[in-house]
Amino acid sequence: MAATAQDSQAPLRGPEKKDEDREDETEFSPFYGIDKGAVLQEARVFNDPQIDPRRCQQVITKLLYLLNQGEVFTKKEAAEVFFGVTKLFQKQDINLRRMMYLCIKDICPGADEVIIVTSSLMKDMNSKVDLFRSNSVRVLCKIIDGQLLAQIERYLKQAIVDKSPVVASAALVSASHLLGNNAEIVKRWINEVQEAAQNKNNMVQFHAVALLHALRASDRLAISKLVTSLTKASVKSPLAQCLLVRYVAQVIQDSQPGANGEQRPFYDFLESCLRHKAEVVIFEAARAICNLRDVTARELTPAITVLQLFLSSSKPVLRFAAVRTLNKVAMTHPLAVTHCNIDMETLISDQNRSIATLAITTLLKTGNESSVEKLLKQIGSFMSDIADDFKIVVVEAIRSLCLKFPTKQRALMNFLSGVLREEGGFEYKKAIVQSILVLIQEIPDAKETGLGHLCEFIEDCEFTYLSTQVLHLLGQEGPKTKEPSKYIRYIYNRIILENATVRAAAVSALANFGAACEPLRPRIIVLLRRALADNDDEVRDRATLHLQQLEGKAGGPDAVQPRLDVNITAMEKALSDYLAGPTDKPFDISVVPKAPPPVRASGSSALGLATSTATNSSGGAAPTSAARKDPTAEYAELLRSIPQLAPLGEVFKSCEPVALTEKDTEYSVFCVKHVYEGHVVFQFNCTNTIAEQVLEDVSVAMDLAEASDFEEAFTVPLDQMPLNGVGQCFTVVTRQPGAIATGKIVNILKFKVKEIDPSTGEAEEEGYEDEYVLEDLEVSPADYVKPTLLGNFRKAWEELDPATEKEDEYGLGTREGLQEAVEAVIGILGMQPCEGSEAVPPNARSHTVLLAGIFVGYQQVLVRMSFGIDATNNVAMKLVVRAESIELSEAIHSIIQDA
Amino acid sequence: MGFFDKLLSLLGLTGRKVNVLVVGLDNSGKTTIIERLKPKPKQAAEVAPTVGFTVDELQKGALTFTVFDMSGAGRYRTLWEQYYREADAVIFVVDSADKLRMVVARDEMEHMLRHPNLRQVPVLYFANKKDIPVAMPPVEIAQALGLDDIKDRPWQIVPSNGLSGEGVDKGIDWLAERLGK
Ligand SMILES: Nc1nc2c(ncn2[C@@H]2O[C@H](COP(=O)(O)OP(=O)(O)OP(=O)(O)O)[C@@H](O)[C@H]2O)c(=O)[nH]1
Ligand SMILES: [Mg+2]
Repeated sequence: MAATAQDSQAPLRGPEKKDEDREDETEFSPFYGIDKGAVLQEARVFNDPQIDPRRCQQVITKLLYLLNQGEVFTKKEAAEVFFGVTKLFQKQDINLRRMMYLCIKDICPGADEVIIVTSSLMKDMNSKVDLFRSNSVRVLCKIIDGQLLAQIERYLKQAIVDKSPVVASAALVSASHLLGNNAEIVKRWINEVQEAAQNKNNMVQFHAVALLHALRASDRLAISKLVTSLTKASVKSPLAQCLLVRYVAQVIQDSQPGANGEQRPFYDFLESCLRHKAEVVIFEAARAICNLRDVTARELTPAITVLQLFLSSSKPVLRFAAVRTLNKVAMTHPLAVTHCNIDMETLISDQNRSIATLAITTLLKTGNESSVEKLLKQIGSFMSDIADDFKIVVVEAIRSLCLKFPTKQRALMNFLSGVLREEGGFEYKKAIVQSILVLIQEIPDAKETGLGHLCEFIEDCEFTYLSTQVLHLLGQEGPKTKEPSKYIRYIYNRIILENATVRAAAVSALANFGAACEPLRPRIIVLLRRALADNDDEVRDRATLHLQQLEGKAGGPDAVQPRLDVNITAMEKALSDYLAGPTDKPFDISVVPKAPPPVRASGSSALGLATSTATNSSGGAAPTSAARKDPTAEYAELLRSIPQLAPLGEVFKSCEPVALTEKDTEYSVFCVKHVYEGHVVFQFNCTNTIAEQVLEDVSVAMDLAEASDFEEAFTVPLDQMPLNGVGQCFTVVTRQPGAIATGKIVNILKFKVKEIDPSTGEAEEEGYEDEYVLEDLEVSPADYVKPTLLGNFRKAWEELDPATEKEDEYGLGTREGLQEAVEAVIGILGMQPCEGSEAVPPNARSHTVLLAGIFVGYQQVLVRMSFGIDATNNVAMKLVVRAESIELSEAIHSIIQDA
Repeated sequence: MGFFDKLLSLLGLTGRKVNVLVVGLDNSGKTTIIERLKPKPKQAAEVAPTVGFTVDELQKGALTFTVFDMSGAGRYRTLWEQYYREADAVIFVVDSADKLRMVVARDEMEHMLRHPNLRQVPVLYFANKKDIPVAMPPVEIAQALGLDDIKDRPWQIVPSNGLSGEGVDKGIDWLAERLGK
């Protein structure tokens, strides 16, 4: 899809604009009107018996300029220039030599020819002039092959520890480049590189640290060791320290999440970097902390504090960096960012438009309902000043704001339709249309106005891709509105005025109206007949088919929009299984599991939302609302790839991993619970930490005495537990379909051990069976509920049967504050806060939070919690639940009671 | 001051710059001979086979030589011609003990002399490695290379020892005299 989007964009880019840009550029260029032929002519000066260094430098500059402009030199031209340049080696002029090195590197004639400078470069490599040494090393490493490299290896090793920083850096950087094809040789220089990492010069240290890391890139354990030792050593160079922060972040990312509450490894280091002298390091550390997987509010606090200081810095780059990072954090932790709101508001009028845009979108994400109008006004004032990229960011922020505050949809929709009418490129328009589509899907009240805006848009839309998409949506949604007939005119206009692709889409959309609205059918038939004479095959074919269907033939009106109510993933799998086996019998679609009831909001993150609309926003769009993170999507792929699990259907929810082993045991095991309609799948992530043994045929057996609602079904064993890697085995239990079964499970890890013979390094033939008792595992009601986005809480609340309502009060004891108590309870329930109610206004003594969730089986549950706090920070909570059954309401209460 | 330098100053050839191209098969001793032309402290102790070429500037009395030391290895010989046009003189070094490849040397030499880019510049032949017992005498080498057939340019053959420097100055003296005319 990304490809089509690109293609359809290509011919639409305004050609005039590009030319304008180019003119602006060349006007100021000292190389204006420079011509390749003339420059090549000038290049003959290289062959003069009396060489003029200044002149030669100028000519080389021109040649390099041409090369960088993308001018192509024929093989013959390149060779001529190249040999000319080689003659300049007779001059010892430093500036000329510098240009020569650049020229040799860039002009790059054939491999046979370029090798001719080898000896000359080797001579320079041993010169007394630093600049000769450093640059010759760079060029030499670029043209050299493995055999020659082995010959000059000792010089390069020397260069790495050269007294001159420029030489040492040149050698280190060259080594990084050589690593690609000659890793074996470069690895032999490790001692020198390590020495260089202690160099007092910042640049050398930076390059050395980068190379040390690159040398170990494929070995996670080695990286972890390196990072540990570097964090202890004193890395002085700020840039090297930045690298180190990045490497640390990577190590944290790759390591198993620590058991609940346990401090992350290296977090202290990151935090200490927040107090570094250099701003780059401070920023890098703050960013690393913000990007930590599952970062907690407590971990975030110090990072946010330094970023907040940056917001009021006098340096634009710091303001930009800070606001951009906070903008991202706002997606996942809006509350953490609210402290910065005042500084953020000042930035709205920042001279730098990029900073202003990011500031405003951050405010949109963290803001509350009352500030929406004010913000919209401020955005409107500068929307025309910013680039499309940033406009897209704004549009996406508006979309998530609208989902958060559905009552504000009218103002926000109006804003979107306003910008839709203005000038803009394809990507920007696409983002707007996409946003309107999502809002229409999610907010029932927005549907009619949204469709109206889109109808207007396609009247004057230059993008085929968007027109067809809108037409498709009109065909889907239009017939369900109160007044379907008003859309007919817009759609039919397309059949008269547009290109074939759009006409075909319009024909299908019309046919949908004809099929779904009986009263309109005769009129639609008349209109479709007119398309029978269209000069495009596809349009005629569609018209013919749909006419037949509307007149009761070819399957009748119902066939206009065939429904395929199967589970698409299961369907895909069934089809590929079918193709893999004998195909003499026809494919039987009845064996494919049916789709779950179409609950729109089943994808509970904003990303899930975007993908569930007609078109995927193809990865470019980041998650835009403050939706709770949902690990389910991450695991879905893995689960689907295991054939034994496929018949269980679609996974409803995946829980966070829980550690079942102590730290530093021989094996480390984490468990992830996956809830299905009638099953629970326990995924065990197993790691062998002892190199002297091989563990095979690994599975987990369960004792279900204290969890009698479950019955063990089968296990999917793991062939071999990877050493320091992660492998999975699965244990599957059944329960009553849709039931909220709970209990405590005792797990026994079973495997076959084979010792490794230290003399041969091979595992012994025969192993022995062994087992190991893991920690117990709880299955609680919270495992069966997941967050869901909701358009209108009040309406949904009133639609649920009041008889299911259950109310109770709880004392939460002394807490840090109201906000912290609210976050804790939301965390326990694992449901989606609605309408921004998770944000407690500063200094509030009481607060109400609205939560929405769905239980397994796609049954809705809504929660209304009122919190109060007294002078001694004692917090009390009233919890009111409504759900689709009283049992579910009780289940929610039991989650709180057990917590 | 050697005899050669004196001669130059006598002739009044001060400050002139000449390009000299040094060619010959690989391992014939080109780089070694050029080292001998440098002042003692600057001479490299050992020489490695040349990859491509190197260029040196040498002061011999009043004359400034820009010496292009080409690699003689097979894969680089085709690159010699890139440097013919500017050459004011050619030094062709022959390994006197390498009887086997004398025909190859002749072949390369004739190829060079026929090349349109090379002007009718003087050619100095060093019959190098004369210290080796089996070395051919210069007369035989001249015959093997067919030097007597060269009528269109001045040439001279001088026996030399690249290791000790013997004969090197003599050859260069001849060249300087030619270039001075
Ligand atoms: N016995 C003897 N050995 C010599 C003499 N001249 C040079 N050599 C040796 O011959 C070998 C080759 O010398 P080079 O100067 O590298 O030869 P070259 O012609 O530059 O070779 P390429 O650069 O590969 O074309 C070295 O080991 C020298 O020590 C000589 O007069 N007598
Ligand atoms: Mg040589």
